[in-house]
Amino acid sequence: MSPFELLTPETVDEAIAELRSADDPRPAVLAGGTDLLLDIEDGRTAPARVVSLRRLPWRTLDWVGGALSVGSTLSLRSLEADPAVRERLPGLWEAIHAVGSVALRHRATLGGNLGRAAPASDLVPMLLALDAEVELVGPGGVRRTPVDAFVRASRRTALGPAELIRGIRIPEARPSAYRWQRVRPANDISQIAVAAAFSPSRRSWSVAVGGMPPRPILLPEVARDLGPGAPNEPARRSACARASREVAIAADQRASEEYRRRLIGTLLDRAIRAVTIAGEGRP
Amino acid sequence: MTPSPTGLRVNGRDAALDGMPDDERLLDTLRWRLGLKGTKEGCRTGDCGACTVLVDGASTLSCLTLTREVEGGEITTIDGDSEDPELRRVRAAFADAGALQCGYCTPGFVLALAGLLKERGRAAPVEELLDGLQGNLCRCTGYAAIVRAVALAREAPT
Repeated sequence: MSPFELLTPETVDEAIAELRSADDPRPAVLAGGTDLLLDIEDGRTAPARVVSLRRLPWRTLDWVGGALSVGSTLSLRSLEADPAVRERLPGLWEAIHAVGSVALRHRATLGGNLGRAAPASDLVPMLLALDAEVELVGPGGVRRTPVDAFVRASRRTALGPAELIRGIRIPEARPSAYRWQRVRPANDISQIAVAAAFSPSRRSWSVAVGGMPPRPILLPEVARDLGPGAPNEPARRSACARASREVAIAADQRASEEYRRRLIGTLLDRAIRAVTIAGEGRP
Repeated sequence: MTPSPTGLRVNGRDAALDGMPDDERLLDTLRWRLGLKGTKEGCRTGDCGACTVLVDGASTLSCLTLTREVEGGEITTIDGDSEDPELRRVRAAFADAGALQCGYCTPGFVLALAGLLKERGRAAPVEELLDGLQGNLCRCTGYAAIVRAVALAREAPT
């Protein structure tokens, strides 16, 4: 006998109704399943019902006036395969490429990764640096919230009890880069990672760090040190030194505080040097 | 021929799934329900690639996939005489390169590479194909011959 019942609603309204009608514990939501099935197998969660999103029309990718909208159940591999993603959001492409293997990315989704909000997510830091917004749909309709407000702590989000992630919106193309450190390059979890992006419209940088608990965070002061364009060497060094000195770094089973503190400056330096700002060349 | 929406088509044949529990993994359906033992269980956590099969042509970790989630799909495994052109090409390349030691990881490697060739074509740079195989582990560490097999699979005449 199956420990859970799998539900495959045909419409968004049906999916929300399933989430509303259910008793405690709340049903689990299944997008690609690459995290959820492990969580169930390891006993981290034991839902009696699992609501699959596979029949919902959310495997979409749209560029509208320079902004990218990604449906929550599009596979990471489909996103990675879009040449415009690699060209306009190179850091997002690098972060996607850092997730698992090709076979895993054929099923894993951006919505699933964001909804699980794992502290070592490779995608959340980049979404933060790109000022991404989450689009949620629930009994009260649709609402939008910045990723920074959506991800609250390790595996905790602002998702309401009967809400679903419908999509993720990235407001503009940004020169960007993602750099990580791991024990093993492929199919491993980042011990620490840095996302850097330059906004051409605001003429400013965003920097985020991930790979450690409780959640990926933005580093606004570090970003400010980088100034309004390609930074010169003193500005870059100053930003990297500030990151190593001031960021609240946690230790866990994957890396010590000291190790992460040493690496954050190095990874930030590499990320900034990898970003090409149009008309300014490489920093 | 369209597969029935409550079944699978595995290596070109219809497979009935009557009475299957909702939590059954595709790996277990293939090995235990359908008796196709070519697909291997390695880690069962998505880390080793030994259980890789194709679902509608895309490489997929069968240990992390609910069978119900791919109902109606076309599954390709290492078992049987496949007419799939990429799969035939990759199997021949692995045989010609002697790219196996104990052989446990081989079905996963073969299906992963066949999937990459379907997606990216034979003109894809060899570095990209090797990068795409990083999710497959060979515990015998027989990688040198596997790298030769990748090159052969790209270059061999059709």
